[in-house]
Amino acid sequence: MTISRCLEVEKVVKHYSHNGRHVPALDEVTFHVHRKEFICIIGPSGCGKSTLLKIIAGLDKPTSGEVRFQGETVKEPHPKISMVFQSFALFPWRTVLQNIEFGLEMRGVPKAERRRIALELVELVGLKGYENAYPRELSGGMKQRVGIARALAVDPEIVLMDEAFSAIDEFTAQVLRSEVLELWEETEKTFILVTHNLTEALEMADRIIVLSTRPAKVKHEYHVSLKRPRNRSDSKFLKCQKELFNILKSELEHTIVRHKLKAIHEHFKIEDMESFQR
Amino acid sequence: MAFAGNLRKIIRGKKSLKTVEHIEVKSKIENWFFIIPLGMIFVCWEIVLKLNLISTETIPAPSEILEVLFVNLLTNPGFTISVLRSLANIGVGIFVAALIAIPFAIFTGLKSRVDASFTPLIMIVGALPDIALLPFLVYWFGRGASAAILMATIVAFFPIFFTVREGVKNIPKDYFHVAYIYKARKIDVYTKLILPAVFPQLVTGIRLAYEFLWEIVLAIEIIARIHGIGFIINFAVENGSLTYAFAGFFMIGIIAILLDRLVFHRLEESVRRWHE
Repeated sequence: MTISRCLEVEKVVKHYSHNGRHVPALDEVTFHVHRKEFICIIGPSGCGKSTLLKIIAGLDKPTSGEVRFQGETVKEPHPKISMVFQSFALFPWRTVLQNIEFGLEMRGVPKAERRRIALELVELVGLKGYENAYPRELSGGMKQRVGIARALAVDPEIVLMDEAFSAIDEFTAQVLRSEVLELWEETEKTFILVTHNLTEALEMADRIIVLSTRPAKVKHEYHVSLKRPRNRSDSKFLKCQKELFNILKSELEHTIVRHKLKAIHEHFKIEDMESFQR
Repeated sequence: MAFAGNLRKIIRGKKSLKTVEHIEVKSKIENWFFIIPLGMIFVCWEIVLKLNLISTETIPAPSEILEVLFVNLLTNPGFTISVLRSLANIGVGIFVAALIAIPFAIFTGLKSRVDASFTPLIMIVGALPDIALLPFLVYWFGRGASAAILMATIVAFFPIFFTVREGVKNIPKDYFHVAYIYKARKIDVYTKLILPAVFPQLVTGIRLAYEFLWEIVLAIEIIARIHGIGFIINFAVENGSLTYAFAGFFMIGIIAILLDRLVFHRLEESVRRWHE
C-alpha cells in the first residue's frame, strides 16, 4: 500500500509574515500521490497553490507538517523531483542544448554523456534544428519545450509543473498539453500540475486536488474517470466540467463574501477580524 | 509531401543563414562609416585655413597636426610612454575598481538588508564630485601614478557598482529556483548564474567607467601635473606649440575610436546575441 504512494503531503501548514502581520497560506493540506499518476492541483488564484508546489519541490519549508517522498521527508530539493516553471526560467545566455544540460552539469555528468542525453531530449520535445538557438530566438511554446526537456534530462521520478501552460497562447498550449500527456504515458513518470484552468485539469489529470481559498485546505479530491484521449466537446467531459465548476464556484462565492465582510469590518473599524469571526 | 516540406525547410534555412551573414558583414562595414563625415570635417577645416579665414597661429591645420603626430611624436619613445601611462592609469583603475565593485555589488544586490544599509551611503558619496579628492591624494601619495590610479579607481567604482547591483537585483527569482532544484553548488550559483546574468550590465558599467576615466585621467594629468598624455598637451600649449598639443589630442581620439570599435563594440555585440 505505502509502496505505491510516491508522495505524501501531510498536514502542511504555511504562514508568512508580511509587514509584521501573520498571513496564513496553507492550512493542514493533506493528500497522497501514487506512482505514475497525473495530478492537477487547482484552486482560486492566490490561494497558495504555487506555495504548495514550492514546498513539495523543497524550495520552501512548511511551517508545520511535512512532505514525504518515498517515505523520506523532503527538506531540500530532491534529485528525483524536477520542476517546470510558468516563466520558463531558461537562462538566456545559454543555448537550447546548454539549458537542457544544466541539471546534468550540476550533477557532474561528463560532457559527452550530457550532450548525448540533451540531443535525445531535443528530439523528444520536437526542437530538432534549434539546438544552438538562444531562448530569445524561440516562441513561448518552444521555450516551454526546452523547460520540459531540462526537467526530464535529470531522469526524475516526479515532474512538478507550475502553471506550465499559462504563459503560452492557447493554440500552442493545446498542442503542448497533448504532447506532455504522450510524454507522461511513454516515460511513466509522476506529474503534478498546478493550474487555475479547469478544462486543462480535466483534460490531463487522473485526480484533481481542489484547494479552497486562502488559507488553502483540500476542499475536494476529484477522480477523473474519463477515458483517454479526452475530448473537450464530449458530453461526459462537459458534465465533469460542470461538476468541477460547481465545486469551485462555491469557493469563489466564499471569497466574494469574505471580501465584503472585510469591507464591513473595516467600515466599523473592527481591528481583529479573526476574533470577531470566532 | 513530407519530403517537399523538409526540402523547403532546408532551402529556407540556408537562405536565412545567408542573410544573417550578409547582415553581419554589412554591419561590420557600417561600424566604420563614421570615417566619412570625420574626413569631411577635416577637409573643411583644411580649406578654411588654406583660405586664411583663420590664421594657423590660432588653430593649426589637420595635415600639419597629423604630420607632427606620425613623424615627430609617435617615433619619440617619450611620447609613446606618456600615452601608455595614461592608458595604464585608465586600465588599472578600471581593473581594480571592477575587482572591488563586482563582489560588493553582488553582495548588496542579493542581500536586501546589506543593500539598505550601504547603498544610500554609496549613492551620496558617488554624487559628490570625485575630482575634489585629487588634492588630498596628491598630498598623501605625491604626484605620481599611485595618486592617478587611486583617483581613477574611485571614479570607476561607482558606475560599475551601480550597474552590476541593478543587474543582480533584476535576476528573476525563478533562475535561482532552477539552480536550487538541480542542487547547484554555491560556487556554481555565482559562476554559472549570477556572473553570466549580470555580464551585460557589467559591460555597460565598464564602458561608462571608461568614458568617465578619459576625462578624469586627463584632468588629473593637467591639474596635478602627473605624467601622461594630458601633461604633454598642457605642456605643449604652455610652451606655445599648439600643433603638438593638437597632435596629442588627436592621439586620444584615435585610441578612443579603436578601443570603442575593437573592444567595447565587440563585447556589446556578443551580449546582443542572447540579451533580451
